[in-house]
Amino acid sequence: MSLAAIVANPASGKDIRRLVAHGSVFDNQEKVRMVRRLLLGLERAGVERVLYMPEGYGIVPRALNAIRPDMAVEALEMPVRNSQEDSIRAAEIMETLGVGIVVVLGGDGTSRAVCKGLTDTPVLPLSTGTNNVFPYMLEATVAGLAAGLVATGAVERETACVRSTALEILVDGEVADLALVDAAVYEDVFVASRAVWDMSKVSKLCLTRCRPDSIGLSAVGGQVELIRPEESRGLALELGPDAAERVVAAIAPGLFEEVGILRREIMEPGVLYPVGHSPCLVALDGEREVSVRRGSEAAIRLTVDGPWVVDVGRVMEAARTRRIFVR
Amino acid sequence: MAKKTYLQALNEALAQEMERDPNVFILGEDVGRFGGCFGVTQGLFDRFGEERVMDTPITESVIVGAAAGAAASGLRPVAELMFVDFIGVALDQLFNQAVKMRYMFGGKAKVPMVLRMPQGAGIGAAAQHSQSLEAWFMHIPGLKVAIPSSPADAKGMLISAIRDDNPVVFLEHKLLYGVEGDVPEESYTVEFGKADIKREGTDVTVVATSKMVYSALEAAETLAKDGISIEVVDPRSLLPLDTETILNSVRKTHALVIAHEAVGFAGPGAEIAAQVAEKAFDYLDAPITRVAAPFCPVPFSPPLEQAFIPGADEIVKAVRALR
Amino acid sequence: MSHDKEIMVKMYTTMNKIRMFESMLQEYFAAGKIPGFVHLYLGEEAVAVGACACLTDRDSITSTHRGHGHLIAKGGDLKLMMAEIFGKSTGYCKGKGGSMHIADVDLGILGANGIVGGGGPLATGAALAAKYRKTQDVTVCFFGDGASNQGTTQESLNLASAWKLPVVFVNENNGYGISCPQCKSMAVTDIADRAAAYDMPGVVVDGNDVLAVHEAVGEAVKRARRGEGPTLIECKTYRWRGHFEGDACTYRCVEELNEWMAKDPIPRFEEKLVESGLVTAAELEGIKAAVKKELDAALEFAQSSPLPELSALLEDVYA
Repeated sequence: MSLAAIVANPASGKDIRRLVAHGSVFDNQEKVRMVRRLLLGLERAGVERVLYMPEGYGIVPRALNAIRPDMAVEALEMPVRNSQEDSIRAAEIMETLGVGIVVVLGGDGTSRAVCKGLTDTPVLPLSTGTNNVFPYMLEATVAGLAAGLVATGAVERETACVRSTALEILVDGEVADLALVDAAVYEDVFVASRAVWDMSKVSKLCLTRCRPDSIGLSAVGGQVELIRPEESRGLALELGPDAAERVVAAIAPGLFEEVGILRREIMEPGVLYPVGHSPCLVALDGEREVSVRRGSEAAIRLTVDGPWVVDVGRVMEAARTRRIFVR
Repeated sequence: MAKKTYLQALNEALAQEMERDPNVFILGEDVGRFGGCFGVTQGLFDRFGEERVMDTPITESVIVGAAAGAAASGLRPVAELMFVDFIGVALDQLFNQAVKMRYMFGGKAKVPMVLRMPQGAGIGAAAQHSQSLEAWFMHIPGLKVAIPSSPADAKGMLISAIRDDNPVVFLEHKLLYGVEGDVPEESYTVEFGKADIKREGTDVTVVATSKMVYSALEAAETLAKDGISIEVVDPRSLLPLDTETILNSVRKTHALVIAHEAVGFAGPGAEIAAQVAEKAFDYLDAPITRVAAPFCPVPFSPPLEQAFIPGADEIVKAVRALR
Repeated sequence: MSHDKEIMVKMYTTMNKIRMFESMLQEYFAAGKIPGFVHLYLGEEAVAVGACACLTDRDSITSTHRGHGHLIAKGGDLKLMMAEIFGKSTGYCKGKGGSMHIADVDLGILGANGIVGGGGPLATGAALAAKYRKTQDVTVCFFGDGASNQGTTQESLNLASAWKLPVVFVNENNGYGISCPQCKSMAVTDIADRAAAYDMPGVVVDGNDVLAVHEAVGEAVKRARRGEGPTLIECKTYRWRGHFEGDACTYRCVEELNEWMAKDPIPRFEEKLVESGLVTAAELEGIKAAVKKELDAALEFAQSSPLPELSALLEDVYA
């Protein structure tokens, strides 16, 4: 039976970057409408059953108020904590139940949580967050079609996906967390409102990818290097105000910062890049997340075993050449 | 002395106070370039600018509440509601917030705001735009209620209201806006709690408010032809109420008719009657009579509306019935 | 966010003041020593403290029926507050206001408020006054999840945004309007979503993290002072006690309470403070002991103060 899954995060798109930058308030009603279109796409691609993460708002149940897709749409049986842990837990259960794909509605933060719960199930991340480096800004209808083709096996994983690199955060030798796009060493001990916008506090920045047209912290690297997600290399930057090389980058929606790059080097997989000192924080995909306590040793490492990510263009191109939707 | 309409008198009061005190400003619906629903703020926008004559959204709660908040912060706002009937939307901000702050806070706040509201029937505006609600406001300790009838009183009382450190509800009958009278050019105040004897007489006291003052004066003319001498007392403010002037008049005439456009039952006349009954019962030669609107909402159709509004004829009838 | 030790220590001290003040009220109310009723702020300390630490004495706040925390955080005098709650003539309001109506206009405290949703228009007016006078002063409007459904709140958000008034709307979402859970009273999970309707920034923060609140409100206050208008900040938090003292809380489960008590904002901040090296654990103990002393003095003042003279009944009705 072809089985797809949805993790839609009701809490994404509301952080302080609406205030300190010019991020949109992405309300949950809009997520409901996106899920509606997503479900119709999945149905049209032939998916028979959809599992979803339950959450306090009920994005998927509300989506079903207005449509009746010809497939089973069921909530996972799991406790709802209304925290990031829910997304991780849901992803783990979904993989155990053998879903063919997990579609994520959220920002970089939600995608990160889901990918932490998966080992080799493909993800298709749709942006409803603030900084959208990992997830796509994409019409949900088409995303549904592509996800459905992967779930049914009409387009196989190797054709449909790229395997992205990721960053592992090690604290005292143990992997403490994971970043999909960027890990920033943040000179502070207070997580506070999580988001990173004060670049004067970022001393090091590791990136799995960078492009000149991206937004968020990876935009800093994007002005000096081009690295695709599936390339087995990353970029490590040391930042500081006294650098000769200075980069203007859009680090949040509508917010530009001039950042000095003291040193940059290509990250090789498996090599440890020490955080340098403690205490500090490591911000993951733009959010202050890991506390490195005084006396601890932390490092960042590039891994090639990141998530399998659906490339919607490639899936739909395969559909065209295979005349899947041609009658 | 120049003749001015009631509306011009109010306008002049606002202009003079805004000129005098930079803390005075106006806020309300369409009070700006439009000049106010009935034209009371005409010309003030051009003269004082949008920073001091503020067009608000249709948001009565916040008009009243923001006036209270600004007043508690040291300004002297004059807020306008288009019709007194709209106070229902905003009543909490008036009677629980603006009015109670001082007492609740142990005397450590003052809320010098004025809330101007046109009231009264007679323009075919029906039940939600025609009421006379002064009795509601009289019931609230901490509030002051002005209900002037003449252009001169309107100007002087509005100036008093603006300078008062308490919240003041200022009730203007919409059919009075066009009434003319002598109004001094200069700035002056008319004290609250001081009734005005609009016509002296010896036989019957008629306590009348707002537009009913004119009906009482008209009735007095009619009755004078029959040799009945009417004293017309205009309280001008209902809170505080100048009971002393009313009692003195009753002690002289031994008869009291109370005339107002608010419905009679539990209307402002009920309080006036009670005060006189309590304090001057022995002087009365006849029961106290009230001339007021019947106990129904204000109707729309002209004959019904006219039947609703009490006037000079009813006062004449009431006085004759006493004798 | 600056890590000025003075601010950090002050926030820690104030959180403890609120915690001890409310715990004291809990005890004395249960013992029948306090008339009327009280709504305690236990568990929500981080919101008031994080927000008010961004303000000066010139800035204003409007508070709620659950207002003790806001008043203490804005600098309210503990003795005068305690005496007022005990109904004594020496209290802030000479015993005429009680728990729900304490104000100190000189400190910019425009009053706790017995009407849910009553503060929004007043805050809007105070902000209007600041704009009118061209000062840089800001007003913080504290309101709960219940109040967010009142028309007055929505009207205030609208006008404040339309006129770019310097007001920061700080929503304390503790999940319940008396007994009614949020999911039964509104279709949204995040009150901050409503900001979009008024074209203002809407932010959700962890209301049990004093630094998250402080940082977000601090940015919003800066924005307001720059003349860029209002912000809506939703602080997710939880009240440990019932709606009022004596509420049996049959509408929520003990697991939920325990989960939130584990997120107690005071030890969380304590741990971070020590970690940061700004203060030592011993210093924090010293602060707590000093606060305890101050509270004991306030209680003693309240208990030994006289009740109001009956002649005061008719005083202060009018200015």
